Parts: sequence; C-alpha cells; structure tokens
Amino acid sequence: MASLIEEAPRFFSYYNLIFLGQAFAFTALLSLVGCGLGFLIGFVLAVLRNDRIVGFAPLRWFATIYVEIFRRIPFLVKLMVVFFGFQLAGFDASMFAVAATTVALSASAFSAENIRAGLESVHKNQWDAAETMNMGGLTALRRVILPQSWAIIIPPSMTYSVGLVKSTSIASQIGVLELTYAAKILNQKGFSAAICFGTILILYFLLCYPMNLFASHLERRLAPSRHR
Amino acid sequence: MSYTLQYGQVTPYLGYLAGGAWLALQLAAIAFVIGWAIGLVCASVLEYGPRPLRWLVKAYVIFFLNTPLLVQIFFLYFALPDWGIVLGSYQAVLLGMAINAGAYLTEIQRAGFRSIRKAEVEAAETLGFSRLQIIRYVVLPHIAKVLFPPLSNQYIILTMTTSIAAIFGVEELTGRTYNINAQTFRSFEIFSIAALYYIALTLVASAALYAVGRYFFRIKGRVF
Repeated sequence: MASLIEEAPRFFSYYNLIFLGQAFAFTALLSLVGCGLGFLIGFVLAVLRNDRIVGFAPLRWFATIYVEIFRRIPFLVKLMVVFFGFQLAGFDASMFAVAATTVALSASAFSAENIRAGLESVHKNQWDAAETMNMGGLTALRRVILPQSWAIIIPPSMTYSVGLVKSTSIASQIGVLELTYAAKILNQKGFSAAICFGTILILYFLLCYPMNLFASHLERRLAPSRHR
Repeated sequence: MSYTLQYGQVTPYLGYLAGGAWLALQLAAIAFVIGWAIGLVCASVLEYGPRPLRWLVKAYVIFFLNTPLLVQIFFLYFALPDWGIVLGSYQAVLLGMAINAGAYLTEIQRAGFRSIRKAEVEAAETLGFSRLQIIRYVVLPHIAKVLFPPLSNQYIILTMTTSIAAIFGVEELTGRTYNINAQTFRSFEIFSIAALYYIALTLVASAALYAVGRYFFRIKGRVF
C-alpha cells in the first residue's frame, strides 16, 4: 500500500493523465458509435420480425436467425471473426472500425430483442384499430405503437449499453487504444499493475455507474401504465 | 489479393475444440456454483444483515456490476502478486468470474427473496405448518419458480464469458482456437467454427434449461 502512495505522483503525471483521458474518451466513443449503430440495426431487425408490418415470412426468419446467432457468440470470438473477416473481404479497416463493428453486431442482436419486446407490449387491438383507420403497417408503428413502447424499450437498452461499455475492454486484444490497452501499456512502462488496473477500474466505474443510475431512474420514471 | 477459404485444413481439430467446449462448460459451472453461493450469502445479508455489513455488500455489488470482468481478472492476475498472492491463470480467471457472477447473482436472488409475500407465510402458519415445512412447501417452491429463468440466463451468459479465459492462456474453447490458429493460420475458418461451437453450446444449454424449467417448475416462458 505504501509503495502505491509513493508511486502515485509519478503515475499521475501530466502526460499520463492526458494519455488516460484520451483512452477514456476512446472507450466512450467506441461504445457510443457501436451502441448507436447497433440500436439502429436492431430497430430495423425488430421491425422486420414484426408480422404486422412485414408480410414476407423469410425476412422474419432472417431477422430471427440473425438475432439468435449474434447474441450467442462471445464478444472475444466475435471480435476475431470480424477482424479476420475484414481481412478476408479485403477491407483495410482501422482497428477502431473493427471494434465498433463488433460492438454494433452485439448491440444490434440485443436491441432487436428489447425493441421486439417493447413492440409486443402494446396490445394487439391497437394494431387492429390503426388498421381500421386505414393506416399502413409503418404508419401504425410510428403513430400508434412506438409512442407507447419507448418506455419499455429504453431502460433495458440503457442497461445493456453499460454491458457493452464493459465489453469494449476486450477490444484491447486487437490493439485498440482504449482504457484497458492504455493500462497495459503503462504497466509495461514499469508502473505497478495495481495502480494501472486500479485506476482504470475506477475510470470504468465513473463511466458505467452514472449510466446505470440513469437507467434505473428512467425505469422508475417511465414505468408503464397498467391499462392497455 | 484474394483469400481462399479452406475449411478442410481445420477439420482435424474439431475433436480438440470439442474438448475445449467441455472445459468451457465446466469453468462456467464451477464459477456459477461459487458465484451462486456468494450471491446467496450477500442477498441474505442485504435483506437481514446488520447495517455496516449491508453497506459493504452493496459497495461490492455496485463496484463489480460497473467494471469490466476482463480488467477485474487483470487486477487479480497481475496486481495481487505484489502483495504476495500468486494465482495461476486458471485460478485467477475462475476467481474473477465467480466474484463477478456473485455480484449479479446477489441482485437476482435478492429480487427472488423480495417476491415472497408475507401473506403466503402467514397463510401457511394458519394452516399449522412448522417453520421447516413453510420453507420446504411454500418459500422454496416459490423462490425456485421466480429465480429459475434469470439464473439459467446468467448461466448461459457465464458460458459465453468463459472465452475471456483464453486471454490468460487457459485452454478452453477460445484458447484452443488460438492454438489452432497459431498452427494453421486459417484464422477466419477456425474462429468462425469456434463461433458455431458457442452457438451450439448455448443453444443446447438453453434447450436443456428450458426442459428442466418446464418439467420441474412449470415455467412457460423461454429461457434466454
């Protein structure tokens, strides 16, 4: 413990702080881009899976199979498949693109499930009523169903995003300079593992805890009304 | 520059990978059992324990839910030796996974405890049940039914999490994939096969847990 205190001034030097700050921003950016893209793809998938909007069954099967496949592959393996997949396809993708794609793939599968659950939480009669008013599937979705299902969709999506922020630490395996990789570099420069990994544990906590708090706040705020 | 997929070169290793899958299941099972025990103790403390202990458990749960498992294991593996605690890679991974799962399972099991209504216990008392009988016939069946889906969900997630062990050189499914990759250099082929193994593994586990839940606890919903 004493050695940690001795080491602290040297560790928290100006340049190390900038280095860690950049890594922190990179982790946040990676999560944001990945989750944002993933949410959009997940939304499309959830719509494709909905038999009120898409009449063509094979499209629904495709969406279901996509979701079942991508949420059952561990992040690390997915990362490697995407990494070598880009190589195979001949793209000269940056490490950030590889990591963001992996995050987006994970996020899309889980958001698709969340959004599907949200859409299904609205009673079937509402679809029928919208149809009676001569609304098409997409109009009904936008005007009737979605406004009622956001409350069900948002809180679990937030919670799941926190899980993805934590998963981005695995992207250090391919050399993306996010927090975990930054800690490894500092560790190799001779700082003790305790101070390197301890510091980024706290930084991760500072990123994730407010998100989790916000998610549970939303969950309480948006608690769905009982009548439907 | 084009790349020709050659799955033929990796097929001899399928059995070796299956052994890794078995190891992954074992790792997940051991971590789950330890985590479950930690969760049970912590959930009981949160519900019935004295205040300072409750704060301690709360801090543990909040901290471990909001930091990445990988970094937690890095800490256990690289930082603890400074204080004289040297863990092998397998032990470090197992310990990290168990402590991490413990935090999740605390939350889940506390929700299970909360789901028992006082009226149920009182009704059982009115019927002349003894304390043990109440636990055996009223509390446990209720908790089991409420807890089974999230617990099995957690087990499946844990099975996928075991892939992190490969980073520390444990030769489970992903670790063995790394080995084969180093020998054959058919990277995409072997990693996509590993992905298929994980899909198969979790599908089988989901189906088995669904059957168990359906048969023993009459749970209709799907598991994971």
